[in-house]
Amino acid sequence: MLADIITPDLFAAALRMATPLALAAIGGTICERSGVVNIALEGIMLCGAFAGVAVTLATGNPWLGIVAAVLAGVAISAIHAFTSINLRSDQVVSGTAINILALGVTGFLMEIMYGHPGTTDSINTIRSVFRFESNADGGFVSTVWHWINGIFLSHTPIVYMAIIIAFVAQWAMYNTRWGLRLRALGEHPRAVDTVGVSVLKGRWVAVLMSGALAGLAGANLTLEQVGSFTENMTNGRGFIALAANIFGRWTPLGSYSASLLFGFADALQIKLQIFRGQIDIPPQFFLMLPYVLTVVVLAGVVGRSIGPAAVGKPYEKK
Amino acid sequence: MPLLELREITKAFPGVLANDRVSMRLERGEIVALLGENGAGKSTLMNVAYGLLTADSGEIRVDDQPVKIKSPRQAIDLGIGMVHQHFMLVEPLTVTENIVLGREPGRYGIIDFATARQRVREISERYGLKVDPDAKIMDLSVGMQQRVEILKALYQGARVLILDEPTAVLTPQEVTELFRVVRSLVDEGLSAVFITHKLEEVVAIADRILVMRDGAVVGETTPGDTDEIGLARMMVGRDVVLRIEKGASTCGEAVLTVADVHVLDDRSLEAVKGISFSVCGGEILAIAGVDGNGQRELVESIVGLRRPSSGTITLKDKDITRANARASIEAGVSHIPEDRHRRGLVLEFDLAENIILGDHRTPPAAKNGIMHPKAIAELARKRIADYDIRTPSEHVHADNLSGGNQQKVVVAREIGRDPDLLVAAQPTRGLDVGAIEFVHKQIIRERDAGKAVLLVSLELEEVLSLADRILVIYEGQIVKEFVDADADAETLGYYMTGGGGSKFASDGSNVQAIETPPTGGNE
Ligand SMILES: Nc1ncnc2c1ncn2[C@@H]1O[C@H](COP(=O)(O)OP(=O)(O)OP(=O)(O)O)[C@@H](O)[C@H]1O
Ligand SMILES: [Mg+2]
Repeated sequence: MLADIITPDLFAAALRMATPLALAAIGGTICERSGVVNIALEGIMLCGAFAGVAVTLATGNPWLGIVAAVLAGVAISAIHAFTSINLRSDQVVSGTAINILALGVTGFLMEIMYGHPGTTDSINTIRSVFRFESNADGGFVSTVWHWINGIFLSHTPIVYMAIIIAFVAQWAMYNTRWGLRLRALGEHPRAVDTVGVSVLKGRWVAVLMSGALAGLAGANLTLEQVGSFTENMTNGRGFIALAANIFGRWTPLGSYSASLLFGFADALQIKLQIFRGQIDIPPQFFLMLPYVLTVVVLAGVVGRSIGPAAVGKPYEKK
Repeated sequence: MPLLELREITKAFPGVLANDRVSMRLERGEIVALLGENGAGKSTLMNVAYGLLTADSGEIRVDDQPVKIKSPRQAIDLGIGMVHQHFMLVEPLTVTENIVLGREPGRYGIIDFATARQRVREISERYGLKVDPDAKIMDLSVGMQQRVEILKALYQGARVLILDEPTAVLTPQEVTELFRVVRSLVDEGLSAVFITHKLEEVVAIADRILVMRDGAVVGETTPGDTDEIGLARMMVGRDVVLRIEKGASTCGEAVLTVADVHVLDDRSLEAVKGISFSVCGGEILAIAGVDGNGQRELVESIVGLRRPSSGTITLKDKDITRANARASIEAGVSHIPEDRHRRGLVLEFDLAENIILGDHRTPPAAKNGIMHPKAIAELARKRIADYDIRTPSEHVHADNLSGGNQQKVVVAREIGRDPDLLVAAQPTRGLDVGAIEFVHKQIIRERDAGKAVLLVSLELEEVLSLADRILVIYEGQIVKEFVDADADAETLGYYMTGGGGSKFASDGSNVQAIETPPTGGNE
């Protein structure tokens, strides 16, 4: 049975499941590094997911859908940026409000655009980038090829984009002007201010970037994985992404790796459901796995990690 | 032609005229010391010059040209650099990253770290400011961090360096080093403004001295024309006793007993390695030592902020080894912490709230869990009057007080509580000479009332003038004990820097002198 569970597609699924988490988590990393807490990732992702499907349904072009998802993410996150940076309101309250707003707005738009709540019509999901032949019952070489092909070469574009983004963001954070200022912003904004760099601008850029990434995460969910939009379909992924960001110690690659772990838990959970008959454990238990993992991570069992010192604190110029 | 000139600068805050038509000029290659009581307006004036505050009226001229300085960026571009009273460094970043922040070398937004490091090294060699460019700020001592601040200003092209109380947090050795650096900067054609409360420093380093009182310049002099006593008189407007007189101590029963205490620091390394001593009622015991030899951890373990890994701490027969801060206060311990911002005050709270912190559960501040604003305000007003805290009202945010007045709030609260044991760490940090005299008198009054006082100070002067007994701490151990009269600054310094060796009586119960002190010369 183990051989039936541990297959290339288990790992491929892990990678797939990790993608929306990772994109949102990297967004969270960038946002929190600038000193702004973003618990609105969930809502932003939901808006991206909806915008992606709506535009694809209207134009028949999923690539336009992706662009729409990103733009929707940016637009929604602008609300968060304005309230938490300019109005200096409580960032958790602002984020919560956006999450509720996103639920409401997407549900409302479903009604007026499609005349019903629930789920939209289906679209054709974006196909995987490569399609190579391989099978498991050959010699050693062909088995290895089968695994590589299965795990790494079977994916849709945004999955690869997420990996590239993780590496680029990691590099940028430690090698560019933007990255240095970003890291300083979340630790000691006044120090950044006194050397003449705008705290306001830096934080705005970071929040909008996180919006773009969470929007892209939503696009991945609907346009590449599910093929339709269902109300509240993000189902807590935005919060798991926040946990992944913390677990990844506020670094893009860390966030990606942590997301992989959550993605794997999710993939395993789904796989084990298939073997429900043979394993005498209630299926709800498996469903629980990713969330239990999140709680364990957040409770600091895996070593306490310390976030940016000034995160969550509005900055006021003297 | 003056490099920097401030003309008739006026700046008002709600209820306070912080600067009232203040003028000053700074020539090339000159060091001007800015002296004045707490709240006189020194920091305000310099913040105006650095663009952190905008003056209500007045003119700033650089190289004889009128300029507008609305932000630090503009000040930096004009060659004005400032080392703040509270450092502006990003702790988890490296020295190089902090220095180049805002002016990173490189192209297309990519930082050229090789060049950055190279430039930092060049400047640090040119001015003799040695520092590891790759060290993280949080791993550096305060003195080193200050060096980074100076390097940062130089990297940004400062021709005028403003230093706001740079020596308040330094050890005597670091002060000497800082003076050397500032002199070498001035030799290179830079100019400096130096704010300090330590008169001997003013005399030692300044070319010209400007004295401020109540927001206005009340006098100008040079070190040649005056001495410390004269300066003190100019500042405060009366004669100040620089070294306090006190009667002999009468040692009552032991109030605090520390027995073989070991304490770990934040990195889980042993910072206090088995220390034993006791302080009796009516006695001031001072712990002298170079910063970072375990005194911080020792104090925190006594006042309930850190749990010792072994040993016992007793307050009048009561075991307080495992007490937390609240239990510690209730047992009768007061604590003036060394860092008023981190431990002493809630900066967002107003003065009245800060004055009753820790006593907010008990009468008169509260009854049955309900606070009494009227009683609190009344108490606050009394403390403000008693301790000469300069503020328009008791409802000003602690954040808006001058540095020295913030310190007075902490002192007023902790001594005002009338504790059995007063643990005072750097109690006069940032205070002017008049306020120091007052606080010293209060501490001696506590002692004379039969209270125990544990004083931890980096200032040898303070230790020597207040203490009845001195313990020298070195590398987490007590290496020497002096009883009142037999100590002098030189001998004390010798033991503080490890001259006595780090061996000690490991049974801990009685401290022994291990080697004889030096006779005259250094090692
Ligand atoms: N941001 C502010 N808001 C309101 N009042 C302020 C503010 N900053 C300073 N003040 C007031 O202005 C006066 C001058 O303060 P300043 O900090 O310039 O004094 P200082 O000479 O530097 O004193 P110290 O030696 O204690 O540091 C004080 O009465 C202070 O309470
Ligand atoms: Mg000041």
